[in-house]
Amino acid sequence: MKISGKIRVAVAAISLVYILIPLLVTIPASFTSAIYPSFPPKGFSLQWYMKLLERPEFVEAFWNSVKFAFLAAFFSVLLGTLGALAIAKYDIPGKSYLVSLLTAPLTVPQLVLGVALLIYFTPLLLAGTPTGFLIAHIVICVPYVIRFVLTGLSGFDYTLERAAAILGASPVTVFWRVTLPLIRPAILSGALFSFLTSFDNVTVSLFMVSPDMRTLPLEIFSNMQDAYSPIVASVSSVVILISVILILILEKIHGVGRLLGSAH
Amino acid sequence: MEPVRYDDRQEIVSLRLQPAVSGKRRNLKKYLYAVLLLLPLLLFIIGFFVIPMLYILYLSFIDTEGPGGTNATYSISNYGRFFTDPYYLHSLWLTIKVSLYTVIVSLLLGYPVALTMAKCSPRVRGLLTLLVASPLLISIVVRNFGWYLLLLPNGTVNQLLIGLGITESPLKLLFSEAGVVIGLSNAYLPFMILSIATSLYNIDPSLEKAAAILGASPFRSFISITLPLSLPGIVSGMVLVFSMSMSAYVTPALMGGANVPVLPVVAYDQIINLLRWTYGSAVSYVLLGITLAIVTIFTRMMEKGRYREVFR
Repeated sequence: MKISGKIRVAVAAISLVYILIPLLVTIPASFTSAIYPSFPPKGFSLQWYMKLLERPEFVEAFWNSVKFAFLAAFFSVLLGTLGALAIAKYDIPGKSYLVSLLTAPLTVPQLVLGVALLIYFTPLLLAGTPTGFLIAHIVICVPYVIRFVLTGLSGFDYTLERAAAILGASPVTVFWRVTLPLIRPAILSGALFSFLTSFDNVTVSLFMVSPDMRTLPLEIFSNMQDAYSPIVASVSSVVILISVILILILEKIHGVGRLLGSAH
Repeated sequence: MEPVRYDDRQEIVSLRLQPAVSGKRRNLKKYLYAVLLLLPLLLFIIGFFVIPMLYILYLSFIDTEGPGGTNATYSISNYGRFFTDPYYLHSLWLTIKVSLYTVIVSLLLGYPVALTMAKCSPRVRGLLTLLVASPLLISIVVRNFGWYLLLLPNGTVNQLLIGLGITESPLKLLFSEAGVVIGLSNAYLPFMILSIATSLYNIDPSLEKAAAILGASPFRSFISITLPLSLPGIVSGMVLVFSMSMSAYVTPALMGGANVPVLPVVAYDQIINLLRWTYGSAVSYVLLGITLAIVTIFTRMMEKGRYREVFR
């Protein structure tokens, strides 16, 4: 290998470490036996995981995170898949404008979206409610589902649907037995991606939150701003673990890189 | 005989086997299905995205202090206040500066990774893509926390710098612009890499071979062929990273705190703590407008510049 190639690979390796290091230091730091977080950790103990279970707000935040991510993914997939099917299948005038409109929440900064929804929700009495929180999360998730399903349908052979219909299948059977199985990977990716997007979200959630409804990332955010304790490291490690499992499933189904390519 | 084209085939099938419903009625029924499938999504996006965005645009032109002001009048005073107050102008400048640094760091660290991804075997490329892309799906607060640990006054980075003799006393890396740039570039570097890599994948490898045959050194062929042809990826990566940095709230709040009051932090403060909704709405639209303006001017300049052909 030429020297220029060696330099390139060296810089690339440094960059990779740069990208991954915050995740790589957080997990060891959570096993510290000291009362302040540090890397490398001092000693070894599981006390910060024990303390995590003793703090009801963290346990509740965990269930809130999972619950809202699940609901956001469910409704995003429902709305997004039906919409994308209609767009892909029928000759709708101004199709490209329609897709731009429906995926526009991705192009607006989440901060601005949070501001807009908080101000809009207040007179509607949705601000600080679970419903408002869920709606906001669907707004940021549904554009991904639309894009994934549209991409999944771009190579779709509609003669298959015709063939099924000719052979006597009802439109409902055609959908369940032909269309749905063919776009299932796209829908599954959309669901997992939406779950992760909602599960990870901080910016929009900050505007939608109320004191009695918190999520894990919001707990990390406020604990980082107020008091510093290794408990943040153990909560973060739990978030990393859940995310990594879902990412590996996504990678199996669709390839994370390709997915992000079609998302942005 | 000419082979049957796809369209003809479909025509034959529809001629023979479609039920005898008149074309017009069939179209109408089709539209009904389309509308029924699309309507919930469309209403949702209009109701919870388009209208809220227009509502705060309207609010930004209303001159009143606090929510629910009674004697509201239309004016551009919110925008006027922003562009005449040195505090907000400084905040805007700070936001642009931090975002530009983030773009530069991401470009310098990202290009070699993208180049490596373009040159390695498909297997390694798949692994690298996974490693680069997956942090994007892990919450930003977690990634910020990792850097927080590393950048503490007695943290690993400072110990390393002191150990190497680069500095004698710990540097103030947290709650500084440097901390924000590190946090932001760490967060958005994957977008830069994926964007550049996509444009590198599209370069015809025979071009570099031709250059080598004609006697060009690897460096020369990189400067004259690879780099210009990857410009569309560089530009879209820079635009993506810049616009995301301009509007980032969480990272500047955690890594910069009150010491780095970028515009999103200021807007959050106006809305949540001071409840100045009309002014906060105006700040949001200033942020959107300025970002769009800078990105548009930059893209136009690149598309009309020396390498305008590669953007077609």
